[in-house]
Amino acid sequence: MTNRIVSPLLYLLLLGIGVVMIGPFLWMVVTSLSSPADLYHYPPQLPGAWHPENYSEVFSRFPFGTFTFNSVKIAVLASLGTVVSASLAGYAFARMEFRGKNVLYWVILATMMVPFQVTMIPVFFVIKTLGLIDTHAALILPAWFGFGMGAFGVFLLRQFFATIPKELEEAAVIDGAGRFRIYWQVMLPLARPALATLAVLAFMANWNDLLGPVIYLSSTEKMTLTVGLAALQGGELTARIDLVMAGAVVSIIPILLLFVAAQKFFVKGIGAGGVKG
Amino acid sequence: MNSKHTIPPYERSGFRWAQPYLYLLPVLVGVVVVTGGAIVASFLLGFTDWDLVRPPVWVGAANFQAMFRSEQFYQVLGNTFYFVAITAPLMVVCSLGLALLVNQKLRGATFFRTIYFFPVVTSMIAVAVVWGWLYNPEFGLINYLLREWFGVEGPGWLLSTSWALPAIAVMTVWKGVGYNMLIFLAGLQSIPEHLHESALIDGAGAARRLFSITLPMLSPTTFFVVVITLIGSFQLFEQTYTLTQGGPANSTLTLSYHIYQNAFQYFRMGYATAMAYVLFVVTLCVTVFQFRMQRRWVQYG
Repeated sequence: MTNRIVSPLLYLLLLGIGVVMIGPFLWMVVTSLSSPADLYHYPPQLPGAWHPENYSEVFSRFPFGTFTFNSVKIAVLASLGTVVSASLAGYAFARMEFRGKNVLYWVILATMMVPFQVTMIPVFFVIKTLGLIDTHAALILPAWFGFGMGAFGVFLLRQFFATIPKELEEAAVIDGAGRFRIYWQVMLPLARPALATLAVLAFMANWNDLLGPVIYLSSTEKMTLTVGLAALQGGELTARIDLVMAGAVVSIIPILLLFVAAQKFFVKGIGAGGVKG
Repeated sequence: MNSKHTIPPYERSGFRWAQPYLYLLPVLVGVVVVTGGAIVASFLLGFTDWDLVRPPVWVGAANFQAMFRSEQFYQVLGNTFYFVAITAPLMVVCSLGLALLVNQKLRGATFFRTIYFFPVVTSMIAVAVVWGWLYNPEFGLINYLLREWFGVEGPGWLLSTSWALPAIAVMTVWKGVGYNMLIFLAGLQSIPEHLHESALIDGAGAARRLFSITLPMLSPTTFFVVVITLIGSFQLFEQTYTLTQGGPANSTLTLSYHIYQNAFQYFRMGYATAMAYVLFVVTLCVTVFQFRMQRRWVQYG
């Protein structure tokens, strides 16, 4: 009885919040297809005519193709680095006994609590000393050493490796496999869901990162979509909000596609952090 | 695994003890050596004058003295706390509400869960671009809807010294609420079903079940969300970088952005690291306080 009254109300609420959450994205698309004259107009309106050529204009006036390529390159290589370094460490923590194991594990987890700003300047100095300023390596290399998502990755993968039955490894040992082969041929394939979760979250973090590219990249042709978009918005395009929005839509599409394709991994990763943390 | 005959020959060699450290090497170098080193270096650099080009010069506590004497620093600190005070409670309440809502046994709840999570996966800059336009006092959709639907004249939002920070806070909550909703959802789904069932048999109403079962059982999750939301809010950077650059009249200048300005615009690395340490200590104190308080309200089942 109550459900007949409550359910429609709940749906109305779900729908209303849905509009608030998705509305800005729709408005972004609408704005990206408008002309400046449509935009600087009161009341706000749908454009009289759609202007898909805004997209080609963004790509021709600014190296948006290059920005996209750079973003893909950095996000793929950096998340690969996170997965490799975190899975090696996670395996050691899950399956090996060594001196200082617990201390090291807690030290790694504790670094997650340190604000980025504290390490930002010394790390910048290290990158500068290595001669990596204004290179993509400045954003990729640190991930191979566990920066960024590394500590979370170690935690996530250690937990996952610990759930894999030891018998599976013992069979491989009897076959004469060494540690590394066990890690590579037994553990990694079994841990595929956890690895995908980490890869997806790391990809998202790198794709959306702004501070890193802002600090390390200065030449236009090296920029990623985020910093390129920030430059457009604050620079000469301030008045061409339609083109800035087109750029924003371009920057969102790849990550949305990834999200739609790999939704369960996003959900899993965040759930794991929350319940166990 | 541990019985002798199953250990491959090379593992019996003298360097076997080193093997685990080889697996840990990348993370040890990056996270323990460099990050750990950076934490120490930052602390020391706070007592120097350094422009990144010439070697740092030891100046004792001068940076801290200058900071604590600067009026701007207190304004920045005040702005930071103000932002946290708006964002954190709003975030926790909204994400808990959303989690309770999408946890209802309704057809299509999963679909809405996905929709609410959308802003989380998009970049802050893309979000800021569209919200900056929505907040436009003259042509923005928000002031238009306020006028049409409620007959209210909206403020200048990002152009107003009193509204810019709350406007950024609302955008921040909108963007992050889906993330915390998922954490709460995982917590809700780990509450044993039988607790609700026996309460139903005892005739407990929905409100009673919420306050006597759901919220207490959920309190470890709530604790986690409160801690990470507070830490995250103190580090507000991208929103101000893209929307206001600390303006108007420094009304959105927060610690994190001020550290960035000092370091990478004015090249006052010593002063910036000193301030970064203040941010660190503030975050640490707030977190430690949270852990102290948790005994009072968090129930571990």
